[in-house]
Amino acid sequence: MDFPALRSDPAARHARAQVQSRWQSATAPAKHVDPILIAAGIMLALIGLLAIYSAKYAPLTNQGLPTDTYVTRQGMALVIGLVAMTVAAAWDYRSLRTWSSLLYVFSVIMLVAVLLVGSEIKGAQSWISLGGFQFQPSELAKIGFIIGAAAWLYDRDVEGLGAVLGVLAILAPPLALIVLQPDPGTGSILLFTAFVIMLVVGVRARYLIALTIVGVIGLVGVVQLELLEEHQVQRLTSFANPEGEACAQGACYNTDQSLIAIGSGQFAGKGLFQGTQTNLSYVPENHTDFIFTVIGEEFGFIGAITVLGLFAVVLWRCLHIAAVARDRFGMVVAAGVAGLLAFQLFVNVGMTVGIMPVIGIPLPFVSYGGTSLIATFAMLGLVLNVHMRRFRSN
Amino acid sequence: MAASIDDAPQRPLRLTLLAAVVLLFVLALLSRLWFLQILAGSRFDELSQSQAVRLVTTEAPRGQILAANGEPLVGNRAAPTVVVDRQVLLDGNGDPRSEGAERVLEDLAQLLGISVEDIFDRLASVRYSPYSPVPVMEDVPSEVRFYIQEHREFFPGIDVIDLPVRTYPQEQLAAHLLGYTNEISPDQLQDPDFVGYRQGEKVGRGGLEQSYEFDLQGIEGTNRLAVSARGTVLEVLSTIPPTPGDNLVTNIDLDLQAAVEETLESGILSSRSIVRSDGRNLESVAGSAVVIRPSDGAVLAMASWPTFDPSAFADGLTPDEFAAIFDTAVADEVPAINRAIQGAYPPGSVYKTVSGAAAMEAGLIGPGSTVPCPSSWDLGSITFRNWNARSEGAMDLATALKRSCDTFFYELAYQQYVREEGALDDGDQDVTELFAETAYGFGFGRELGIDLPAEQDGVIPSRDWKEDYWERTRANNCALADQAAETNRQNPTSSTAYALQLYTELCQDGYRFRGGDAVNASIGQGDVLTTPLQVAASYAAIANGGTLFQPRVGDRIVAPDGTLVREIEPTALGQLPVSEEGLAEIRQGLEDVVMGDGGTGRSAFSTFPLDEIPVAGKTGTAELGSQIPYSWFAAYAPADDPQFAVVVSVERGGGGSQTSAPIAARILQAAFGLDVDPFAAGDEILD
Repeated sequence: MDFPALRSDPAARHARAQVQSRWQSATAPAKHVDPILIAAGIMLALIGLLAIYSAKYAPLTNQGLPTDTYVTRQGMALVIGLVAMTVAAAWDYRSLRTWSSLLYVFSVIMLVAVLLVGSEIKGAQSWISLGGFQFQPSELAKIGFIIGAAAWLYDRDVEGLGAVLGVLAILAPPLALIVLQPDPGTGSILLFTAFVIMLVVGVRARYLIALTIVGVIGLVGVVQLELLEEHQVQRLTSFANPEGEACAQGACYNTDQSLIAIGSGQFAGKGLFQGTQTNLSYVPENHTDFIFTVIGEEFGFIGAITVLGLFAVVLWRCLHIAAVARDRFGMVVAAGVAGLLAFQLFVNVGMTVGIMPVIGIPLPFVSYGGTSLIATFAMLGLVLNVHMRRFRSN
Repeated sequence: MAASIDDAPQRPLRLTLLAAVVLLFVLALLSRLWFLQILAGSRFDELSQSQAVRLVTTEAPRGQILAANGEPLVGNRAAPTVVVDRQVLLDGNGDPRSEGAERVLEDLAQLLGISVEDIFDRLASVRYSPYSPVPVMEDVPSEVRFYIQEHREFFPGIDVIDLPVRTYPQEQLAAHLLGYTNEISPDQLQDPDFVGYRQGEKVGRGGLEQSYEFDLQGIEGTNRLAVSARGTVLEVLSTIPPTPGDNLVTNIDLDLQAAVEETLESGILSSRSIVRSDGRNLESVAGSAVVIRPSDGAVLAMASWPTFDPSAFADGLTPDEFAAIFDTAVADEVPAINRAIQGAYPPGSVYKTVSGAAAMEAGLIGPGSTVPCPSSWDLGSITFRNWNARSEGAMDLATALKRSCDTFFYELAYQQYVREEGALDDGDQDVTELFAETAYGFGFGRELGIDLPAEQDGVIPSRDWKEDYWERTRANNCALADQAAETNRQNPTSSTAYALQLYTELCQDGYRFRGGDAVNASIGQGDVLTTPLQVAASYAAIANGGTLFQPRVGDRIVAPDGTLVREIEPTALGQLPVSEEGLAEIRQGLEDVVMGDGGTGRSAFSTFPLDEIPVAGKTGTAELGSQIPYSWFAAYAPADDPQFAVVVSVERGGGGSQTSAPIAARILQAAFGLDVDPFAAGDEILD
């Protein structure tokens, strides 16, 4: 039907303009931030601050040192992380696509830089010191890879072999540089994230299956061909055999301590500052990679499932946003972040509860470590960005 | 184009697949946690059946040193420290348990960039119980920390923990007062005072760290742990937490200390641009300043320049740092010395208060009685000169102080000398050497007992001292006399003849306390040596009406939670040996020095609000051989109700009015919250 009379009618035109502006203002990006996602992320970070405080409380008190040494730094990183999240959310992600190659190249250059200027300790170079702060370029590389891959896939045929090879080509430089550090933990995160991106973007199932087979053969080959040293293999496999020879020789030390800490937390936990394993620092790295042991010991099963639940909320929101994203770029970013966070959660907590090998992967939002916290919130910002701009009209 | 891409079919199925994987992850963790925390609790109880007990001691944190306002001068900071558990890596003989253990220690040495022997040296320490991890390297870079903690399988028995290290939040401030800590010496271990200390324990050295060692030192704690066969800690059986050391609250006024240090340094440096009448620049190589509260002897500020960075001591001095602090190219510029208590210099005219008091007590002068002040004064063939080449008329003691007239004091000192010699000649065995006794009464020639180690006592010449000194130097002087005689015989000149006469006299006759000794001492020259602290204490006593207090930096000891443990009470060492009238005349003279017409200290206070805050003081310009004189200024203010006594001393700084008085004036400006004038080179030399 056509109502030519109405078109010329000023009142009708006015009404239509009103509807349009109402629609526009209703879909304005700022109105579509996802408060549930933000709240869950911040709550996880606050639980992290509490756990870090508790993990370091007894050792620092015993030495008569200020007990807030670590918490203050992490709190500063949280503030910077929230700023990073706001910036990442505010800037329309579709224009980010144009910049994606720049960001990707920059993240790779930083990985090269860390190999050159990061101080060499037996070949392990993961950190660049910036005026008292240590910056970890591999955290930036996670973001760089997701955005780089998402932007490249944006307008391509995604089902064929070309997409697979493209994603692998984008993955190869940062992965190689990270393995060179060596940082196998972050390397495995990138591998998994790449797989998730190929999965959600729609690469044919046969390629995915082939990649999985190649991956398994590669892993077995590395072990069989003795490319890894004995103790490295032990570290990776001992968790599966807690009564074995390797464990008796101390390869399970971390896992043993961690299991005792978490198991002894039982249902309700021992209470803040009450964890004996925590207080005596018998779980090493219990403010960074093993932070979950503090939560498990002091807050018990209740605390542990609270953290798991908050992660579930974050992952649910990310997946939901991937589903409602207006374009493939946004979908890949949101799904990639979801896959990455899920993998880190599973490997990190899995490590502390003895179902995954001990690999240095931090628990996102929670573990002590400024770069990781800031990068995680920046990724959250990107996902929010996708959510805020999911409508056609803006 | 864009529209078609935006419309590209999404893959709900694939996203659902991903969601399923995520769900699987969460459920797997959830069920594992359920098993560990809910179902397997009993299993962990079983684990605790086979247990052994081990004792682990925890080092107690050392107390802090605080300024009067509670701000820390010395605190503790967390230093990442690599520790080695000997139980894991070494056998009973201290050798590696196995080849594996040896390799671990070699890897560690390589990682830390030190030799394996260095590590064994540290591990041999008997300071720690066998169950305590032994620190092998402090303050390791964070990369080392991450490397060790991320590669635990390489480093069994090795950890990186935070241990306290002394930190200096005020940086260089009060460096000379603080001292440092290092391992207890074998001598101290034998010392009954240090009973309960163990080898390797850290104790205070130098400064307040040493003086208050037993307050600052804490008591280590002990944990009794139940451990499984695998070395896993199952339970804490008992815990005696470490008792941290108490904190020392000092009298140091942080702002004033900062102002004093800044003023002293800029005053010394700016004085170097002053050119003397002989064409030489003032050298002003070093100096010190002290501010004391007259009412109780509290040291509010104490500075010595050049200074150093105390944090260099915290992690052990490098050879370069050691050379810069202890062993400078020019010996006079060694920063390690706290010149305020360790520098013993001729005091020059600041000492005239003592001579004035002695003359009063001797009855040589009374209040208001006058003595001439000629430009020179003869003793036999020797002529002693006043600083002023023009004769000044007869004057009373107050005026003599104001004009700093040397000849006035020569005359009085000589009269007393003659009187004492006469009594000795008459066979009186009990002659009081009044000028020297008065000096002791003013706190000179002895340690005042400030709560800082290595205080110098200085020298007050007397008959006994001279004889003792002669005994000590006699052999050397006689050898020099023989040598001079030999030289004189072979090649006689006027200078060899003089040397022969001098050393022969010192060798044969040097025990005699001569009139010249008494005359020189009366103006703080000759053999008189005093520390800036002694001068400050004596002026504080003059200021408070005559009570000589023991100067003290510490005010009280408080527990870590701030509750008072004990006050460090002021100690009165005695009353100044001078009558009330005598003291009043001295105080009048000191006020005139700064505020009277023709006072030698007046020009330095030209911008000071003397009508609101009257100042009393005294300049000093002490000769030492042919060097540029040592510059002094001693003062207190307000003159009618003294709150601060200030002493400034600058080695080879020229006239007291030139270098030290301007510094003292600016210190008083800072003390009273006035704007501190920038430095301009001083003008004329008075005194």
